[in-house]
Amino acid sequence: MKKYLLIIFILYSFQLKAQDFKEWTISQAEMEMKSYSKDTSANAVVLNEFGDARITDDDQENIQFKYHTKIKIFKSKGFSNGDILIPIYYGDNNTFETVKDIEAITFYKDNNGMIQKQSFDASKVFKEKKNKHWTYIKFAMPNLQEGCVIEYKYTLRSPYHHTLRKWDFQSELPKVYSEYLVHIPAVYEYNVSLTGPLKLSKNEALLEKDCYSPGGGFKADCSKITYRMENIPAFVIEENMTAPENFLSAINFELSLITDSRGLKHKITQDWKDVDALLKKYEYFGSQIKKKDLFKDQVVTLLADKTDGLSKAKAVYEYIKAWFKWNNQEEKYSESIKKAYESHTGSSGDINLSLAAALNAAGLNPETVILSTRNNGFVNKLYPTLSNFDYVVVKLDIEGKTYLLDATEPLLPFGLLPLRCINDQGRVISFTKPSYWIDMVASQKRTKHYIADLTLQDNGKFKGTITKFSMGYEALGQRKIIKNFNSLEEFVENLDEKLPKIKILKSEISNLDSLEKPLGEVYTIEMDAFDNLNKEKFYFNPFFMDRIPENPFKLNERSYPVDLGAVEDSRIIINITLPDKFSVINQPVNLSLALPDGGGRFISNTLEEGNKFTFSEIKQLSKAIYTSEEYPALKELYNKIIQLQKTDIIFQKAK
Amino acid sequence: MKQKLIFSILICATLSVKSQTNYQVAQIPKELLTRASAVVRNMELNINVKDLDDVTYRYKIATTILNKNGDDEGGLYIWYNKSQQIKSVKGVVYDKFSIPVGKISEKDFKDVSTANGFSLFEDSRAKIFRPAVTVYPYTVVYEYEIHAKQSMVFPDWFPKHSSDVSVENATLQFSSKPNFSIRYRENRYTGDSVKIYKSGDFTTYIWKAKNLEASRYEPYSPSPEEILTSVRIAPNTFKYMGVTGSFTNWNEMGNWMNDKLLKDRNTIPEATANYIRELTLNISDPKLKAKKIYEYMQQKTRYVGVQIGIGGYQPFKAEDVDRTSYGDCKGLANYTQGLLKVAGIDSYYAVIYGDDYKHNALLDFASMDQFNHVILCIPFKNDTTWVDCTNKENPFGYLGDFTDDRLALICTKSGGKLIRTPKFTDEQSLQNRIATFEIDAEGNLSGNIVTTFTGSQYDNRSSIVNEPLAEQLKKFSDFYSIDNAEIQSFKITQDKSIHPVTTETITLKARNYASINGKQLYLPLNMMNRQSPQKEISNRTSAVKINRGYVDVDVTTFILPQGFKIDFKPDNHNIESTCGTYRSTVEQKGEIIKYTRKMKLKEGVYPADKYQDLVNLYQSAYEADNEKLILVAQ
Repeated sequence: MKKYLLIIFILYSFQLKAQDFKEWTISQAEMEMKSYSKDTSANAVVLNEFGDARITDDDQENIQFKYHTKIKIFKSKGFSNGDILIPIYYGDNNTFETVKDIEAITFYKDNNGMIQKQSFDASKVFKEKKNKHWTYIKFAMPNLQEGCVIEYKYTLRSPYHHTLRKWDFQSELPKVYSEYLVHIPAVYEYNVSLTGPLKLSKNEALLEKDCYSPGGGFKADCSKITYRMENIPAFVIEENMTAPENFLSAINFELSLITDSRGLKHKITQDWKDVDALLKKYEYFGSQIKKKDLFKDQVVTLLADKTDGLSKAKAVYEYIKAWFKWNNQEEKYSESIKKAYESHTGSSGDINLSLAAALNAAGLNPETVILSTRNNGFVNKLYPTLSNFDYVVVKLDIEGKTYLLDATEPLLPFGLLPLRCINDQGRVISFTKPSYWIDMVASQKRTKHYIADLTLQDNGKFKGTITKFSMGYEALGQRKIIKNFNSLEEFVENLDEKLPKIKILKSEISNLDSLEKPLGEVYTIEMDAFDNLNKEKFYFNPFFMDRIPENPFKLNERSYPVDLGAVEDSRIIINITLPDKFSVINQPVNLSLALPDGGGRFISNTLEEGNKFTFSEIKQLSKAIYTSEEYPALKELYNKIIQLQKTDIIFQKAK
Repeated sequence: MKQKLIFSILICATLSVKSQTNYQVAQIPKELLTRASAVVRNMELNINVKDLDDVTYRYKIATTILNKNGDDEGGLYIWYNKSQQIKSVKGVVYDKFSIPVGKISEKDFKDVSTANGFSLFEDSRAKIFRPAVTVYPYTVVYEYEIHAKQSMVFPDWFPKHSSDVSVENATLQFSSKPNFSIRYRENRYTGDSVKIYKSGDFTTYIWKAKNLEASRYEPYSPSPEEILTSVRIAPNTFKYMGVTGSFTNWNEMGNWMNDKLLKDRNTIPEATANYIRELTLNISDPKLKAKKIYEYMQQKTRYVGVQIGIGGYQPFKAEDVDRTSYGDCKGLANYTQGLLKVAGIDSYYAVIYGDDYKHNALLDFASMDQFNHVILCIPFKNDTTWVDCTNKENPFGYLGDFTDDRLALICTKSGGKLIRTPKFTDEQSLQNRIATFEIDAEGNLSGNIVTTFTGSQYDNRSSIVNEPLAEQLKKFSDFYSIDNAEIQSFKITQDKSIHPVTTETITLKARNYASINGKQLYLPLNMMNRQSPQKEISNRTSAVKINRGYVDVDVTTFILPQGFKIDFKPDNHNIESTCGTYRSTVEQKGEIIKYTRKMKLKEGVYPADKYQDLVNLYQSAYEADNEKLILVAQ
């Protein structure tokens, strides 16, 4: 998905003309456009978009980013593109980004069909302090109407040295033309990576003489690099996909080397060896993990009666889980685990680095794994980019077995990571050996087993028990549901009320708090099935548990993989006893389906014996990720299952 | 000075009586624990109006959190803006034995903007805090003070503000000088009747609530404002953002709005005025004139929210809207009023509460805080027409389910008047569907579906109506349960006349619509309009409110494949229930099967015990909707 772009310096001696498109002009053709021929369904299209980023010699406004765009709006549904919102970063009162020189014009046709332009109202640019670090600059384009063209530009100045903005070629709107020009002084080197499937239509570097003079008579040339794409399709989000950033076409910059005024080179983006060393002594990472004294006293108490490594580790894990309340923030660092510890709350960084420190205190040699959550996208593996990672978990090897631990959620059993962590690969940061990649795959399945033992009574009602066992992610989800009620009674009451045909006479829920054991739910029920038993034939649909009402996969084809996170395994067994003299005369066909390459299967079976029958069903999805090529088979599997679920078991009284 | 002293002694005296410093969990009455995730041990609010622009709110709230579901109740969210400042805030956390375990100060709060969606500017912000306590139960006690520079709006007092919370004690105390008089309205208030003390220069009102038990969410309930205990307070004279006013009834409030908020704001620039005159020159019927102008406004403008200062209540000037072509509901209604005036048509600025749920303004209690939206009322001879100026698609004169059938305040020359917006009857809100499906021996379907939507159902396709075809096809499965649908044509048209109709026409094919099982073919009769089952509620307490009724009719004709005979045909159903009716029939004529389904839900308020009737109606409909015709190959 990522390509390394070589920066090739082609040296031209002549001055190039400015590459920004001509401002505040409109062609008749643009005004008359009725739809975008390459995507007639688009409500709006970006006609032209140009960005210019340079590193200046001004300390306070080190990065200057100019943005200029022109958008054709076809339908009123595209008017939201006229509500402009520019997020800017606010570090503290001395260090913050600013937006200046906003200009904006709408071209529209007046009541007489003449082309008019209307400038926006510069007094109506509003600033909203969204939170501590983000401020929104907002304005609205005037006079929007179907067929209008909006054009606006602004300059963003940033004090954050060397942080060149990434450029998203692809967005929700299709674009005719998008170009990004960056000026990089020769004293800096950047790693540049292109994400997404689209190709650049132009990638050219030119020399710009003496463009950079930070002072002291020092001067440097710049390379002036153009990245361009044309005819860019709109980006469409599909269900069950990981972060859109994984698939969006964009260009990213990461500083790798600085040459100072004396000609000395300083490596910035290092290889992993450098990163390992950096993280080890970094005050928000390695230094935090070393703070084992914080847990020294607690650990003594916790380990008092523990002898083996595993039970020690479990005791520490349970202690940390119970101590902290996660603040829902995904972080890989901790400013201070001490502060977090004292306040009982923190980010995933605070909590899991505390866990590592506590395991250290227990003498268990934990390692940490930095990773990128599903919403954050995949990590760049071409070179170490720490900014791609947004989460940290703990890795522990005990007696040849590896456990990955996250203490942010009280209901996670030892060794199970929440699904948000199951994404691509993570980097194991060990302070004793070089770091390395591991696959972030689910350690457990989503497993559910249902068993129903039901007897049909003379009054037409079934009576018996329904049992459900859940393991892995299924148990995690089900425990969360149960705990959302104030008591077990309220949970069962709700369940009973949700199933008007079924009366729950008795219930027993086991291992609700024994997280490593399967969660068991046993319900003694009575179910209304037939008004009476005086009919000729009886139709009974055995698919009343865990039924799939509609195919979850709707699209005819997919562009991106279906990522379910974890493997799924569900089994259903229904034992039915009919009154004497009744017998089955028709049943759903026995079905056995399989996905290619062991990707999954579905088996259903009905066995009858006199007035008893057993219906069983197994559904397995053996892959966590299905590629877009595998998608049609997956969809068809569900289609077949749904077909089957429409059919009934038919029984009758012997004549 | 002396008076102040007396006042503070009074507060101390009343506080010390009520004050509860023991937050031991063991002392919570048992009945307050049922269904509760948190218990408000004590809540005190003291409002003190020293002057029209000098109002102090003092809060003290102690809440015991019983389990993690109550954590939200342990948090604090304080809204503020330029004219409503937080003076102080602090808190203490206690464990279940009432031993203090932590302190909270202002620096622990997060400061956030409260704007949601794209609103150009909102000057309101909030301070937010959530305690991190992992051992339950625990108690959080907050004390904070807010100073407001306005006396127009006072927050409604809800001692119990959500369902799974119970309340041990709550007190509202309101003090002001006698020249600041108030009106108040109690709803479901069962505490001691309000006590009114006079002391020195101040008059004090005290309301108390005690032992309010936790409840749970009950579907089809009246709105929380209707079923929860509350006290509303409205001033007779007030000041807001430098604007003074006084009113004691709706008529006076309308006059005040005319004078202070709306006067001289709807003058239309000459160029546009001329255009409007030209546009309507050859139209003589005033109603058609108004329609033309409304449609002009719809295509010219768009909605952009701007809420700042008095702008929360006062519209943008019409000339601003004319120039930028955007505005919020106030600005657009005011602008449209100006445009209509150019053509000699009078209209009334109308404030209303916009929501799918029908909220009514209180008949005999006038206050500014009962509304969130502005629309326009156009009185013609023998006909009153209403328009929502923020909606770019609505037909002229059509109010959808956001503003239909509720009391709105119109500002006329002779003052404010409460009048009701138009209502759709159950029968008018009709979805009528006719489908013809041909089924082949493999169970594949091909056919067409034509559906018309009227009344409040006119908007049923609003999410896709102007979307491109590709988007409409993607949403097909949001409306129909037919798997494997291959849509051959899909069209939505809207007749925007006085009785608007949306029409959807689809031709499609669907592989495996009917399932084969050996020699049998299972044919689902209804994959287009299926009722979901409704949860039962044991010991329901609140009335059943069906906010809006409707009628759905589906007639599907199946043409069966050759060589099959019917093995099983579902029974006809005819269910009459308190809240509605459900009928379905299956008729056979040779190879033709005609399936007819009619569902009617009756708008109304029914006693709590009728809820089971609604559950039964939905359950019967759900089961009937899932029935299949079984065919056997001969």
